[in-house]
Amino acid sequence: MESHDGRADEPDEDGMNTAVSALDTDLLAADVRATPASMNAFLAQVERRAFRMAELNLGHREDALDAVQDAMLRLVKHYSDKPAQEWTPLFWGILRRRIVDLQRRRKVRSIMVGWLGGRDEDGEDLPAWEPADTGPGPLERLNDAQSYADMAAAVKLLPQRQREAFMLRVLEGLDVAETAQAMGCSEGSVKTHLSRALQRLRDLLEEWR
Amino acid sequence: MNAPENHLERRARELYREAARQLDPVVAAKLRSARRDALAKANGSSLAHRLLQLMLPAGAFAAIAFVALFMSSPVQRPTSANPGGVTLAVDVDGELPPDAAAADPTLYQNLDFYGWLAKNSDSEASR
Repeated sequence: MESHDGRADEPDEDGMNTAVSALDTDLLAADVRATPASMNAFLAQVERRAFRMAELNLGHREDALDAVQDAMLRLVKHYSDKPAQEWTPLFWGILRRRIVDLQRRRKVRSIMVGWLGGRDEDGEDLPAWEPADTGPGPLERLNDAQSYADMAAAVKLLPQRQREAFMLRVLEGLDVAETAQAMGCSEGSVKTHLSRALQRLRDLLEEWR
Repeated sequence: MNAPENHLERRARELYREAARQLDPVVAAKLRSARRDALAKANGSSLAHRLLQLMLPAGAFAAIAFVALFMSSPVQRPTSANPGGVTLAVDVDGELPPDAAAADPTLYQNLDFYGWLAKNSDSEASR
C-alpha cells in the first residue's frame, strides 16, 4: 500500500527504532495474548475491538459492522486451517484492507455526489448517502467519553499509515512483526510510522501529559 | 521512552479497551450474529467441499468398476471361424427353428449326409 503521508516507506531516523522498541518490554509486557482455543473464541475475543478500530477509521457504524463481518468471514473461510498463533496478524490485516476498500469506495461515492451537485454552499461534501445514526451513541456510555472522543479526533488527523501503525501497535498491542505483517510493510516502516504518529499525537493531545 | 510519553500510549489503550467493553448492546449483538454467520457459512462450505472430496474418488471408482465389468462380461461376437461371412442363424435359446433364409445353403444340399452322420454317431454311442 502506498504511503499516505508522502514520505518514503523505509525508516530514516536511527534513534527512532530504539525509542519505539521500548514498547515491547514496557507497555506490551503486561498484555501477553493467550493462544485462542478455537476460531469462535478468537473472534469473540477481538470482535468488539475490531468494531471500535473500524469505527475510528471509517467514522460510520454500519460501515464498521460491514468491515468486521467481512473480515471475520474471510478469516474463517480462508485461514481456519492456519495455526491459531497466525490468526491475529491475519485478521487485523484483512480488516485493515477492508477498511481501506471502504474508504476508497466512499471517496468515489463522494466524487459522484459532488458531480451530481451534492455539495453545500461552502463546497463541503454532503453526507447524502449516509443514513443518520439515531441510535444511542457509544461515547455517551463511556465514563471517559470526552477523552475517547479527543483521542479519536486526534487519531483521525493522522495520515493513513501512521494511524494504522498506532492502532495496531499501541491500541491493539500487536508486536512489530505482526504489525508489519498486517500492514504489509517492513518492520522498519512500522517503527517509523509509529514514531511519527506518537510525535503527532503528543502535540495534539497536549493536555494528556 | 520516558514516563510521560508512555502515559499517552497507556491512556489511549485503556480508553480503546474500555470503549470496546462498553459497546452498545445492539452493536454487540450484531457482532455476535455476524460471527456465528461467518462460522456457519464457512462450516457449510467446508462440509460441501469435504463431501465433494469424498464423492469424486467414489464416482471415479464406480466408473472404473462399471467399465471393468463391461469389458469382462461374456458377449457373443462373430468369430473368425466363419471367414466367408455366412452366418448360421441359430437361436441361442433353442426355442425357434433355424431361419432357412439365413442358414448355410450347403447344409440343405447335403441333408442326406448329415442324416447318415447323425444316425451313425447315435448307434456308435449306444454301443
